[in-house]
Amino acid sequence: MGGKTTRRVKLTFPPELIKEPVVFTMAKKYDIMPNIRRARVTETVGELVLELEGTEENLEKGIQSLTKKGISVELIEGDIIE
Amino acid sequence: MGFVKGLKCRECGREYDADPVYVCEFCFGPLEVAYDYKGIKKVLTRKKIESRELSLWRYKELLPIDGEPQVGLTSGFTPLIKADNLAKELGVKELYVKDDTVVHPTLSFKDRVVAVALTKAKEFGFDTVACASTGNLAHSVSAHGAKAGFKRYIFIPASLEASKIAASLVYAPNLVAVDGNYDDVNRLCSEIANKYNWAFVNINIRPYYAEGSKTQGFEIVEQLGWKAPDNVVVPCASGSLLTKIWKSLKEFQEIGLLKDVNTKVFSAQAEGCNPIATAIKKDTDIIVPVKPDTVAKSLAIGNPADGFYAFKCVKDSGGHGDDATNEEIIEGMKLLARTEGIFAETAGGVTVAVARKLIKSGKIKKNGSTVLCITGNGLKTQEALQGHMGEPYHIKPNLEAFEKVLKQNREKK
Repeated sequence: MGGKTTRRVKLTFPPELIKEPVVFTMAKKYDIMPNIRRARVTETVGELVLELEGTEENLEKGIQSLTKKGISVELIEGDIIE
Repeated sequence: MGFVKGLKCRECGREYDADPVYVCEFCFGPLEVAYDYKGIKKVLTRKKIESRELSLWRYKELLPIDGEPQVGLTSGFTPLIKADNLAKELGVKELYVKDDTVVHPTLSFKDRVVAVALTKAKEFGFDTVACASTGNLAHSVSAHGAKAGFKRYIFIPASLEASKIAASLVYAPNLVAVDGNYDDVNRLCSEIANKYNWAFVNINIRPYYAEGSKTQGFEIVEQLGWKAPDNVVVPCASGSLLTKIWKSLKEFQEIGLLKDVNTKVFSAQAEGCNPIATAIKKDTDIIVPVKPDTVAKSLAIGNPADGFYAFKCVKDSGGHGDDATNEEIIEGMKLLARTEGIFAETAGGVTVAVARKLIKSGKIKKNGSTVLCITGNGLKTQEALQGHMGEPYHIKPNLEAFEKVLKQNREKK
């Protein structure tokens, strides 16, 4: 179980993905434990703030799989470069 | 002696001690400084403020420090200029420019936030300060940090233009150019901030740093003769400045220095990076991140940390927002220079261009008082103007050649 790490991220979903269990699918495939802290969903867009726990490699792959699907994955800090 | 009660989560309201932390451990919401306004009301009067040095620290009770100011002692209190020439061009009666192109030491409003962040970093006992920046913030942390005796780590994307690097390097910080795209730099800096015990001004010091922006709002009110303007147009990158200008008005009202606040707050963005303006126009409070592509580099924040809160301030105040194309931004810069003699950076062009649109569409009423927040000096972004200005007259060194030009010029008019 060594080598596990966490990432705090904000996911923004386009409307066509709001109803799909994308987080569950990603979590199962890459052995990632998601811990949802905040969520807001409207008719046109969804926003999910959560902590992901897994190995560095799996987190990277899991996040990439979400990005590929069209979900925006950002740091909860927002963009840091000002 | 300070009036800080602690930090409070903007989402769930959970309270924290005033430590160098920035995110709620429960809901991951951002933390904001909470003050003892009753205590401040007892000690802070207009007269007291007016008796103090002309710097941003004249409002120190409303800033998140415990002791005396230590950094940026001459920063702030920039001119509020009655812009009659520009008012005529834009078709409004009463227009002002809040001119932060002349803030010391690095000619942008970042000298306000950095003065507060670095004073707080001293109070916390940090010996190293850091930031990630493509321009204004890097210059400000480099300069203020040098004077204050901090070790400084400044992170920049490796692709940054040479002129922007020089304006930081001259202050001799540790400048780290990171390979990779902006997302890679963002992620690396987040990891560094969480690993090293440094004052990363816009990460773990962010709740304190951001409060420095309120001083722009305080100054506007004082310079208008202790009145809030009817409209204020604010350029938005992270959205923080806009939220803090709104907060400054509310705080002055709370402590009795301002009677009425009927100010409408307007957000100005570039079309190539407009997540906040888009949300306002679509009337949805979910800010969808974008990949920036604009000449207004100092506003190019695609995932704005305070976007949602900026949206809320705009809506609560009855304001609006819009965006400007690259061409409109350049035109805005030239218009401000031509009419008011103020050379602003591209962000200033955004503010002027968007104000023009909002006035034209009737969102900003022609009869009220309007303040445009101009946040940085044009000498920093001169390359944006290349190919967009007139040429000088080239003449031989004799009077005849000069008078030929003079004649041509008179005939033109």
